[in-house]
Amino acid sequence: MAPRSLWNGAIAFGLVSVPVKVYTATESKSVHFREVHAKDGSKIEHRRICPKEGKPVDKDEVVRGYQVSARKWVELEDEEIAAAAGSQSRLIDVDHFVPASEIDPVYFEKAYYLGAQDKGHDAYALLHAALGKADRAGVGRWVFHNRERTVIVRALDDVLALHTMRFADEVVDPSDFDLERVRRKPSEQEVKMASKLVEGLHADFDPSDYEDTYREEVLKVVELKAAGKNIELPEPEETEAADDLLAQLEASLSG
Amino acid sequence: MPRSLWTGSLSFGLVNVPVAMFSGVRDQDLHFRQLHAKDHTPLETHRYCAEEDTEVPYDEIANGYETDDGELVILTDAELAAAAPHRSRTIDIEAFVDLEDVDPTYFDHPYVLMPSGEADGIQRAYRLLVEVMSRMDEAALGRMVMRTKEYLVIIRAREERLVLTTLLRHDEVRPTDPIPSPTKKDKPVKKEVDAAVELIESFSCDWDPSRYEDSFQKRLRAIVKKKAKGQAIEVPEEEDDDRTSPVPDLMAALERSLEEAKAG
Repeated sequence: MAPRSLWNGAIAFGLVSVPVKVYTATESKSVHFREVHAKDGSKIEHRRICPKEGKPVDKDEVVRGYQVSARKWVELEDEEIAAAAGSQSRLIDVDHFVPASEIDPVYFEKAYYLGAQDKGHDAYALLHAALGKADRAGVGRWVFHNRERTVIVRALDDVLALHTMRFADEVVDPSDFDLERVRRKPSEQEVKMASKLVEGLHADFDPSDYEDTYREEVLKVVELKAAGKNIELPEPEETEAADDLLAQLEASLSG
Repeated sequence: MPRSLWTGSLSFGLVNVPVAMFSGVRDQDLHFRQLHAKDHTPLETHRYCAEEDTEVPYDEIANGYETDDGELVILTDAELAAAAPHRSRTIDIEAFVDLEDVDPTYFDHPYVLMPSGEADGIQRAYRLLVEVMSRMDEAALGRMVMRTKEYLVIIRAREERLVLTTLLRHDEVRPTDPIPSPTKKDKPVKKEVDAAVELIESFSCDWDPSRYEDSFQKRLRAIVKKKAKGQAIEVPEEEDDDRTSPVPDLMAALERSLEEAKAG
């Protein structure tokens, strides 16, 4: 079945435009639960309550607001929020290029695929070939769902992939977290032994090597429960915190 | 100090490092609340039992799972935790990989992992991992369970700390082959590719995230301010950009783009 596109428009690259359709590249596959009343499994509903009146509020009595001071709220309509998207352009203007391998993983937000539209296959093929050959990704802006995002466009397999990117001020700097002082730094010998351990565990990345075993384990618990059996709650594991680092490294290597 | 989202231990061979996990992103979005229209009382969401029509306290709520034959199985949080007791508390490092081998499509959510506990042994073990991973330029792969999901995670050293990114599973990344793409007959000629590469190179620079700002949030703030003063908000029309239609002569468009780039 051909996938359904989410958006269509064009990528502008110099004076060349590449008509594209946007498709989702990812989907979540977790086990889904719903909230139920523990005693009998009845459905749980989320209701909007006015705490002042202690009563549920109908949808048409609800407005959206932003708090500007302790007692003052500014009401905003959906269209007014949509106005923040700026010009509702159908164009992703790619105006500069970066080496994609330089981008830290924290900036990547969500991935999409760009499909070619019926017209303009030649321009699509050209952009795909040139991005691949130059080993670059194009950076542009994309207005999607009334929100403007920074995106990169790169060649992936036979298609173009698009990634929405996080903004610099959304990314936490790891050095904002304080490290305790240590009396003694790891010794050269410890580093050497740990390096050997790392080497021994080196592998090529293949995501299919790491199945989601949790799903099966959850389904097992579900089956047990459905059969009316008791679920044994595990004792908390005792993990020994590192104290004799060298001895533990030695034991890991000989194990 | 922000609240940790998960605590447990990071295990590398027989070395266990107690760690606390923090979000690697900071929410900078403007947040709206639902208000009662008549007096702007902020509304609250409460959980009700649909059957009894009464409010249900949080500790009386369990997880319902519907089996394929439509049977509802009720599980408490504790029973769910029994599914993967080890991985709910431990990230076992299963392999070390080159970060460059991981396609960005897999990157999900970033976190920061900090040592949990002041003991010198804990701090040293943490530093040892940081030191070795940055020296060898390797990233660690492991699996962990957070709430009701198991994640494949990649951990690497950055600024003397460990950062973690959850990865999508291979079956959560869709294949690219059903996506419409040009066929062989659309293959560009060398002259066109060379011109396009030249154009790309003339507009190339390093990745510098600080040059992009969230203009949506900025405009949203301006709109809120304007509205607070009682001014009207104009809703822009959809732009009709003629550049959304394909160009008739690709090579001519490339040549003109290059000329414009050179003219700067």
